[in-house]
Amino acid sequence: MTSGAPTGLSTTRGDLRRNFWRGVWRVLRRKPSRLLGVALMLMFVVMATAGPMLYQRPLPRDPDNFFAPPSLQHPFGTDFQGVDVLSLVVVGSRYVLLTAFITAVITVVLGTGIGLFAGFRRGRLDAVLMRITDINLTIPGLPILLVLSTVWQFASPWEMGLVLGLLGWGALARAVRSQTLSLRERGFIEAARGLGLSTPHIVFRELLPPIAPYIAMNLLMSLILAVWAQVGLFFLGVMPVIGENWGVMLNRAVFDFGAMTTAARLPYMLAPLLALLLLTVAIVLVVDAMDEVFNPRLREE
Amino acid sequence: MKVTRITATLAAFALAITACGGDDDEPTSPDDGDNGAAEEGEVNRGGVYTTIVTQLDATAPPNPFNPDTNSFLGYNAMRLAWVKNHPTDPSDFYPGLASEWEVSDDNLELTVTLHPEATWSDGTPVTSDDVVLSANIAYTRGSGAFILDPGAAGAASDVEVIDDKTLRFTQDPDNPTGEFVNGIMDMTIVPEHVYGDVLPADFEETLEAAQGEGEDAEEARDAVSEAGEEVASFDPGEDISAGPYVLERINPSEALLTRNEHFHNDHLVAPDQVIVRNYDGNEQVWDYLQAGELDSSHFVAVPEDVVQQIEAVPGNEISRTYSPVVAGLAFNQSYEPFDDVHVRRALAYAIDREQMVSVSTPDGGDAATTTSGIHQEVVDEWIGDAVGELDPYEHDLDAAEEELEAAGMTKEDGRWLLPDGEPFEVPIQVVSGFSDWIAAGENIATQLDEFGIESEILTSPDFTVYQEEMAAGDYPLGFWLIGLGPSPYNIFQRLYGQSNGWQVHAGQLSYSEPGEDGNWKGGPETIEVEGHGEINPGELTHELRTADEERTQEIMTILARATNETLPVIQLWDYINTQFSNTDRFITDPPDDARRVSGVTSLAGIWIQQGWVTAVE
Amino acid sequence: MKGFARRLAGQLARGLVMVWVVLTFTFVIISIMPGDPVRAEYENLLQQGYSPEQAEAQAAMLHRFRPTGSVFEQYVDYVGSLLRFDLGQSLYSRVDVATVLADAAKWTVIPVLLGTVLSFGLGVVVGVYAAIKRSSKLGDMLTMSGSLLRGIPDFVVGLLLASIFATLWPILPRQGAVNILYEPWTVEYVLSLGYHAILPVATYTISAYGGFILAMKSSVVTVLGDDFILAAELRGMKRSIIFRYIARNAILPLFTVFALSVAAVFSGAIFIERIFNYPGLGMLLIDSIGRRDITVMAGALLLITVAVIIANIVADLFYSVIDPRIRRAGDRV
Repeated sequence: MTSGAPTGLSTTRGDLRRNFWRGVWRVLRRKPSRLLGVALMLMFVVMATAGPMLYQRPLPRDPDNFFAPPSLQHPFGTDFQGVDVLSLVVVGSRYVLLTAFITAVITVVLGTGIGLFAGFRRGRLDAVLMRITDINLTIPGLPILLVLSTVWQFASPWEMGLVLGLLGWGALARAVRSQTLSLRERGFIEAARGLGLSTPHIVFRELLPPIAPYIAMNLLMSLILAVWAQVGLFFLGVMPVIGENWGVMLNRAVFDFGAMTTAARLPYMLAPLLALLLLTVAIVLVVDAMDEVFNPRLREE
Repeated sequence: MKVTRITATLAAFALAITACGGDDDEPTSPDDGDNGAAEEGEVNRGGVYTTIVTQLDATAPPNPFNPDTNSFLGYNAMRLAWVKNHPTDPSDFYPGLASEWEVSDDNLELTVTLHPEATWSDGTPVTSDDVVLSANIAYTRGSGAFILDPGAAGAASDVEVIDDKTLRFTQDPDNPTGEFVNGIMDMTIVPEHVYGDVLPADFEETLEAAQGEGEDAEEARDAVSEAGEEVASFDPGEDISAGPYVLERINPSEALLTRNEHFHNDHLVAPDQVIVRNYDGNEQVWDYLQAGELDSSHFVAVPEDVVQQIEAVPGNEISRTYSPVVAGLAFNQSYEPFDDVHVRRALAYAIDREQMVSVSTPDGGDAATTTSGIHQEVVDEWIGDAVGELDPYEHDLDAAEEELEAAGMTKEDGRWLLPDGEPFEVPIQVVSGFSDWIAAGENIATQLDEFGIESEILTSPDFTVYQEEMAAGDYPLGFWLIGLGPSPYNIFQRLYGQSNGWQVHAGQLSYSEPGEDGNWKGGPETIEVEGHGEINPGELTHELRTADEERTQEIMTILARATNETLPVIQLWDYINTQFSNTDRFITDPPDDARRVSGVTSLAGIWIQQGWVTAVE
Repeated sequence: MKGFARRLAGQLARGLVMVWVVLTFTFVIISIMPGDPVRAEYENLLQQGYSPEQAEAQAAMLHRFRPTGSVFEQYVDYVGSLLRFDLGQSLYSRVDVATVLADAAKWTVIPVLLGTVLSFGLGVVVGVYAAIKRSSKLGDMLTMSGSLLRGIPDFVVGLLLASIFATLWPILPRQGAVNILYEPWTVEYVLSLGYHAILPVATYTISAYGGFILAMKSSVVTVLGDDFILAAELRGMKRSIIFRYIARNAILPLFTVFALSVAAVFSGAIFIERIFNYPGLGMLLIDSIGRRDITVMAGALLLITVAVIIANIVADLFYSVIDPRIRRAGDRV
């Protein structure tokens, strides 16, 4: 496992950055699917940030036209009271993506922090932290969340993201620690110490940059897992069915509106499902591209 | 599931609390000996009958007193009789193990005769001993007329064995009610030779001590309910049934019942076997129905186009009968501005109930025509011409605006503001999994939003939590079932009972201030009603338990008017009892008044044992 | 071998700590849970047609057993009874929770194992192919299919399968586990079992497959880089021998993935059982949460946790057996 371009202490960072972006572009261009992934990703980000503003509140509806079949006007038909299903998916994307983003941030902060700290400090503290990491990695998060939902309703994306983040930082901490250890083995830290650099400088300027690619990839992976977990939780219906959210749509489609009983109701279920699939595809494609950017060895000759 | 256990639960709730009212058959005279038993018609026998039951638990014992029992009422668990819950006639039953019953003129004595051929599935005859034991068990559970609370109304004071097949029950003459006979006939009967040892040997003495007063009686009552715990967890092992079927085997999703050759009316029982299928959510039932796999089903909420699909399946038939359950939107008047009657009226005018029903439960209910607290099918019967004087609260946005202005609100940029300038917000609390409530609530929120009132639905994770938080006063607005017939008392008890401050302790009515003892509605203790002066709705409701017919109608009229004028609840829709059957394998044809039986959800067992099911040749 | 035993002991100790964490978690949840079983019983009775007063009196009577005493005493009691393997009784059926769990577990464990094994076989074969052909379009696509499937949540797979095979083209059941009409363990019974299990097992298989493909591919790629292969190729050894070498060496790490996969699928069973209305531990957990049957809920959570821990321990032990270097790395804290 090698890290990205070794951060030679003499190279200027501006050069690196330029080289990096050139590399990214090269990688993206080689496979059009990766461009697609990036485009989809951008689309979802726009959807979640600007999308809800496109629709006036309350959402326009046609009360005489409920559960309308897909048409040009309503690509995924309408819901039980005549609201355009596509608009529901767009509006619902905010909770989903915001939660995923919060989860990812918490995962990255905790995972990186704990991993770096453990790998840098070593010793007894490292041992304790790694035991905690093990527990975090092994504990079955979904059943725990279900049980937790009996006392906590996760009404806001912040609460949901916080819990998911707290349950999901283990893998990253593990990876960051082993990266830190490997850098340490290669004499990184001793060299930096020899140069008289302060601890914060070593951690943030020397250790962090080579690990950053792993963190970035992990950020994306935890995005997927967070989307997955929250949509699934709402789908199960154990959680309170509140507001606009793809999981809530899935739950209502299957358990209240009979999407499994009558094919006519399928569009209402397929719309959030399709959104979920596209989001997953987008993230997978971007991860694939990043993998190659950061792991030059994988690049084909 | 939870999701859907709860959906299923609502269906069960709606049906179970039920009973009848309007479309009644002729009341049978209590002592004419015939008691409306099934005619001795011939049925075609044979075949497997498939129906549904909710909350099947494969590990539970076949003990009817177990909360998760695998003794299914009407199939392998029997009562003395099946209570039709006629609104005025307290002794209107279909026969179960009892074939004859006689009520004394003063309603204090009930003599019951068991069917001469009633036999347990192991060949032992059903005798008075079984009934006495079952009555003792009923005391441990406080069910029916078997209540140990001192002073409780309608309690049985004495059980007397006349012979092997005849018993006499006496009601406490100090505090009689009309529900006494129902409370006895409702009793589930278990075999003495199986359950006899479950109760402690000195149980009868304990019971006697418990009926007194003082500390010893307290202790005895504790001992009695402890015995109840034993009864609930008792596992008889093999199923011994006096009903038409015996439990053969069970898996987590289905139970198989086979014919009990010893059943006294076996000649009326058509299917050789019955499969009861479990459902956790209503959508499972839709699937079964659509596949034409169910020979009959009780009420479950079904969306309109699914109903059409089910109807299109060859052989499927639908029956729609009256269901004495009403959905209402209840206010907690401790929250401003819902304490202002103008605000409540404004909301009543602003909600288009027709639209709400058409998008939420078109097949399971009719939009309420007004708010009276009474189901529209029976409201005429109770209050007669006074219905016409009630404000119908038809959808009228202008009227809603006027009312809001009367409450001091103003409209700015299309949004309504409270007198203090804050936006007017209406949070509507519903229960996760109650699909019709959620759809209706969401539609109401949408309608109010379009009218300029900030509104959204909030969901409680399940009904238990919902009830508890509601009782604790956590919700300004929430869905609430009202008009639960059949008895007039039960109809208004949902409005002017404990949830509004009035509760009964040992036969005495007392009032608690809003926020105390489960008074979450927080309405006024007395109401000024046009033409009737100041009334106390809780006291009037309590009086309904014992009032005669004329007084009952008078009280009902006053309460309906009070409800209509002060709107503690906005009546949203009146439930319809929609049931499905399939004619490919069996003809299932119960009379209308047997499509709802008090306390029984899965009704096919009762229909089968009365001979209303016959196999198609 | 001594190292192995020490590693096992360490793992077991860690597992116990985790069980303790989950126990404590459950205890805290139960203590602060708003749902009150007495209230639930009350509703239950109302449903059965009791009048509100009767229901209230009876519900209070039935639930005398609510624990009293300080929170600490309750906690000690709670952990103590679990140490004696006493999980209590269901608040509803009054059946021992252990019995309830055993009944549910068989419906989860067998389909989960079956699905994972199928997935393992499929993943290994496709993974080898994807590795060997990794520079070709096909190999690329196979790898991509693995990445995508690994990213697609199991409930999405389940919903798609259900809507295709149970709704649009209704040839497979989405309800129940076996037809009750058949006597247990007759031919029809077994066929009916299989018929009802097709969709759940297929879902398990498809959702676990992505992980296996990717793991197998990377494992094969590593082995392909071995000096042995280079030397063998140079010497012109028979392809079959080379292939056998690759398969044998590349498949070993997969057993670790297998054990971890079982753990993941076990959690995923909650979704799959819900979608296909299939009885099992997941369904039990959901039901018990919905009904606030807290003893069953705690038991189901504990059992799922233990299953996941065991799978992890097995994975870890495989790992240490396969790669002795890990042992050293692990000890070097």
